[in-house]
Amino acid sequence: MSLDFDLGPAADALRGELRDLIDRHLPAGFLGAFTDDPADLAAAQRFCRTLAERNLLCMAWPPEYGGRGASVWEQTVVREEMWAHHEPRGAQYMGVNWVGPIIMRHGTEEQKRRHLPPIAAGEVIWCQGFSEPEAGSDLASLRTAARRDGDGWVITGQKIWTSYATMAQWCFLLARTSRRERKQQGLTIFLVPMDDPAVEVRPLRTMMGPHHLNEVFFDGLRVGDDAVLGTVDEGWAIVGDVMAFERVGIARYARCERLLALAPVVLGERWETVPAELRGRWVRALTLCRRARLLAYRVVALQDAGRVRPADAAAYRIAVTRLDQDSAEVLMELAAELPAGDDATEYYRAEVADHWRYSQAATVSSGSIEMQRILLSRSMLADK
Amino acid sequence: MNTELGDEAIEFGRQARRAIEAAGGDELLTAAVAEPATREMPAGPLLAGLGAWELSPRTDPDDAEAAAALCRAAGWWALPYPVAERLARPLDLDVDGLSVVAGPAPAAPLAGLELRWAVVDPDGNRSRVVGCGEPGDAFVTRLRLEPLDAAGAADLALALVLPCWTLLGMLDRALELTVAHVRLREQFGRPLAEFQGVQFQLTDAEVDRSGLEMLAKHALWSAVSGRPDAVEDALALRMAALEAAETVLRVCHQLHGAVGFCDETTLSWISRASQPLRRLPLGLSATRDLLTRRLGRRPLSGIYG
Repeated sequence: MSLDFDLGPAADALRGELRDLIDRHLPAGFLGAFTDDPADLAAAQRFCRTLAERNLLCMAWPPEYGGRGASVWEQTVVREEMWAHHEPRGAQYMGVNWVGPIIMRHGTEEQKRRHLPPIAAGEVIWCQGFSEPEAGSDLASLRTAARRDGDGWVITGQKIWTSYATMAQWCFLLARTSRRERKQQGLTIFLVPMDDPAVEVRPLRTMMGPHHLNEVFFDGLRVGDDAVLGTVDEGWAIVGDVMAFERVGIARYARCERLLALAPVVLGERWETVPAELRGRWVRALTLCRRARLLAYRVVALQDAGRVRPADAAAYRIAVTRLDQDSAEVLMELAAELPAGDDATEYYRAEVADHWRYSQAATVSSGSIEMQRILLSRSMLADK
Repeated sequence: MNTELGDEAIEFGRQARRAIEAAGGDELLTAAVAEPATREMPAGPLLAGLGAWELSPRTDPDDAEAAAALCRAAGWWALPYPVAERLARPLDLDVDGLSVVAGPAPAAPLAGLELRWAVVDPDGNRSRVVGCGEPGDAFVTRLRLEPLDAAGAADLALALVLPCWTLLGMLDRALELTVAHVRLREQFGRPLAEFQGVQFQLTDAEVDRSGLEMLAKHALWSAVSGRPDAVEDALALRMAALEAAETVLRVCHQLHGAVGFCDETTLSWISRASQPLRRLPLGLSATRDLLTRRLGRRPLSGIYG
């Protein structure tokens, strides 16, 4: 038989190792790095270094850049276990998942030497300077401009919805460097420091909690040519590459499944008194988790075989973001069945509430569900 | 990890689709509806010629994939023949096929065929079919049963999974027909395909269809490799298949407009032919209820179960 849905012994062993590390190194009640308690960010930073020491942080990277060339299925396990446990790598998952790999592809030797080792060591946080007030899904309409000035560039403009900007040391910035016939032309990627006085970050309080979203203002930031990633005016191609690395993105299904699977355990004997209709929805949500996971595995398998089909990735993204929201509703109802309880019970209740808040943004962030629908329908309606 | 059927199974499915087309394609269904006694001819010999009854999906994993591909091809044409049920025949009974039944009035789409059938219920009780009632819509008939034994638990998973592959084939076709229709049909001076309201409905259907495809592969693998949760996996597949059928066929009818109800369109025939697969042995709510009861406190198998 060709079909095989076992991830294999190496992936199973890795999953066990990661769960053990999470168990031993994260503080009780951990709900991610982005709370008002600085200890949570510190715990995430420590956890990244712990992963790095064990060669687990950048395991997908080639050995020459500090990785161990892990299989795509091992990478999948990392994505699943991290997201299922409230992403204990904090903001660093971006550096590992795509900033580093993109610099490997498009960076100069000097850029690789400068940026890759700190990412591999778990010591640096990156943010992504893409969205602007007037450029969300229509990203190429952005207005932040980089003007030639002698040997370097002067960058002026505003970014918004920038995750992790308050804690980031570097920004992966997209700016306009010239006006061309098509708006996708004339854009350039810059790797810019966030500690320059010409950069101002203003946090936005959101329902997802503090430190998630920010505005970033660039007021005449001066950078050299060495800040340009790839070719001037041809940054749009790199944006496409970033999207390719992000196709599978966050393994949202893993947290949904973990919390759903825990519900009968936390509810104990009360599970039997949960309305039958709600238990039916619980089963349905678990089935949707499996569906999203299998759709993700198909995309991963195709990518591994060098066959990238954006329509498959779009179908997966639609399925998994809707799952996030559907399962959040089921989980909130299940959590409402819980009596006041011990620490474990209250932690579960907090996890569910956190999951619900996050899930509200699932169909908006990292490419809205409408953009995924446009991508998918374009493929369905294309000439075959 | 491998998320795709083997090349041989895919090729077998492709050849089956071509062979059914050459034998009449959509006309096979319209002819059989007009005269149920003609279900056997030419479908029976055609399938025999393809080697369908030489497949051993219960014992040979490669044959199981070929059987699934064949069911999907049969579903594409809404072939008026119980291919999945015949391929699900148990190893230890001298019968031609196996159907899953439930409820106080067991029924199955077996009318018009002179074959020897057994049935199995969700508890694994097996019976021999000793008589059929009058044929109803889509060849469904009440069954008269003679109890055999309670040894059918192991037969259940594959007998639930293969019909879902047939339904998947029907949804593949319905969606392809609809895509062709919206590209051609113009309103307000442009093709329907150019309206975002139309495009987004298509994506709803495709997400459910492609999700069903993955669950069908998973449940087939689970059944054939004898995993302990194979029946639960099959029921989860069936639940998703029934939801997908509702979404996909509703979208397809809506986007076809009135012409989709006319017998000149294939969608009208597929929509009706899908009914037995969607209602028997259990509909959506009853399937979900059965799965919920079987699982109890256990989650579906997965990364946390």
